[in-house]
Amino acid sequence: MAQQSKKSKSRLWFLVHSWLALPIWFFVLIVCFTGMLAVVSQEIVWLANPDVRATKPNGDAQRLSYQQILDALHKAEPDMAVRSLRQPDGSHFALSAAVTMPNGTSPTVYVNPYTGAIQGKRPDFDFEAFTRALHGWWLVPFTNGFSWGWYLVSLLGLPMLASLVTGLVVYKKFWKGFFKPVRTGHGSRIFWGDVHRLAGVWSIWFIAVISITGTWFLIQAILADNHITLSTEPVVPVIAREQVPQTVDGTPAPRIDMDEAVRIATSQIPGLDITSIFLPATAYSHVSLSGRGWYPLMFQSASVNPYTSKVDSQFLLSDRSTLEFVTESMRPLHTGDFGGLAIKLIWAFFGLILTLMVLSGLLIWTKRTAQATAAAFKRGERTSRPRQTLPKPATEVQP
Amino acid sequence: MSQARALPASPLKQFWLKWRFHLNILLLLIPLGFMPKYFADARMFRGENGLGVHQISGIQVGRWSLDLAELRNEAPRANGPAGHFKTFNAALCKTCDDGVKAIYLRIGKPRSLRAAGAIFFGTPYRMSTSLPIPPRTRPDADIWITIEGWDGSVHQASVPLAKASPATLAWLNTQGGKK
Repeated sequence: MAQQSKKSKSRLWFLVHSWLALPIWFFVLIVCFTGMLAVVSQEIVWLANPDVRATKPNGDAQRLSYQQILDALHKAEPDMAVRSLRQPDGSHFALSAAVTMPNGTSPTVYVNPYTGAIQGKRPDFDFEAFTRALHGWWLVPFTNGFSWGWYLVSLLGLPMLASLVTGLVVYKKFWKGFFKPVRTGHGSRIFWGDVHRLAGVWSIWFIAVISITGTWFLIQAILADNHITLSTEPVVPVIAREQVPQTVDGTPAPRIDMDEAVRIATSQIPGLDITSIFLPATAYSHVSLSGRGWYPLMFQSASVNPYTSKVDSQFLLSDRSTLEFVTESMRPLHTGDFGGLAIKLIWAFFGLILTLMVLSGLLIWTKRTAQATAAAFKRGERTSRPRQTLPKPATEVQP
Repeated sequence: MSQARALPASPLKQFWLKWRFHLNILLLLIPLGFMPKYFADARMFRGENGLGVHQISGIQVGRWSLDLAELRNEAPRANGPAGHFKTFNAALCKTCDDGVKAIYLRIGKPRSLRAAGAIFFGTPYRMSTSLPIPPRTRPDADIWITIEGWDGSVHQASVPLAKASPATLAWLNTQGGKK
């Protein structure tokens, strides 16, 4: 009797597992696939577009400092205004400079870190941004708070987590499945079933990471849209009026250069590896610098007052609450961009496996559940049309 | 599972069973439908559609000349307890950004430089600010531009809010503002 109920319970789990993503399987498939692409989108652009590569002009060339880059940009395009400089993760990438041209256009240009030469403008079709927008919010625009596309995609974290749990419940002794060979020659149902289970056990950690972090994106949107913040990051006040000098002749007051800002920030914050610089956006704004510290999943930032040369505000790893260590780690854990190319390739590989899991799950379903459902339908039609001959329903019982 | 299901009882269930996979098609139509909007927005943020909508060119503020435009032709956007905001862009004339320390935008005439309003962020060629719009703003209100020079001088000019953003005017009229 107890065994009977155990069996029916596992049948129920099995049904739940079978039906979790099913009616929207293609949506789930595309979300998984675009996620996989988004992880390596930067590398794909690097392969496709020579402008984004940091090519050394000669063997012993040294990287220029941020101020040297700015000087080179100013020399090449005297009328161009630079808003920010960013070194993408990986020295093989060119710097990205956000600039504004005198005609008001605001492109991003790729700058060689060794020569300061502008190598090209970011193309109008930005593959990196597009795959991320498609994967992250299904291209639905953000008009009031988070886009509903963001909710649509991040909601998938829940069925994904449920399919991981139910999958492990119905796969008896799954821990013995890591080295089970895939059976070929027994028909495609057996083959895809074996593939699904083998890929599944190896992906347990990855599915857990992606579904939990995906669900976090849902929680993040709910919190933000209800104006609840968990952040302890200080709001940097503008520079006080008294600290911004007036000049008699109406020329702008002198500010420290970017190398000096970097020196001040790094001397005050040991271990800060500055990878992006935002130039002051108003006369009352700071030079804002940010980069990683010892913990690769989070960024630290400092705001240097360009008139007084003081660090007016900073947000370091040590300023974070324990909760922030968890919540801020969610995004990099999802995107795999915290440990260079190796981690990205692992994430992309398992992303592809995950896409395959959706596909193999569907194939198994069509070969089993769909046949059974179709058979049930046929029986229904037969009862209403009794003249037809009755073929045997093609049902197959295979847990 | 292969259990022989009982015949679907209700037409609703039959409808679901027949059409459920078409949900995929509906879901795929969403990004396809939003794609033109996505690329149009990307162009807008690159500044390739000009300064914005309802541009007012050549506003004389002191010795400077300034162009002002709303980013989008739409009502102010709500930002939680902070209230409603409207994004405006501005550009200084190409040859006359010398001596400008800061530019501010405010509904109604500022009483002093300290209350000059929202500061514009960005470069002289294209800067942007988020202007708070109180729901009880009078529809005939003016928006005031204040330019602060590096020499400490202050220069002001105003344009009618209704001209700078007709959508904001329409929104104010639905907010029960004082006539």
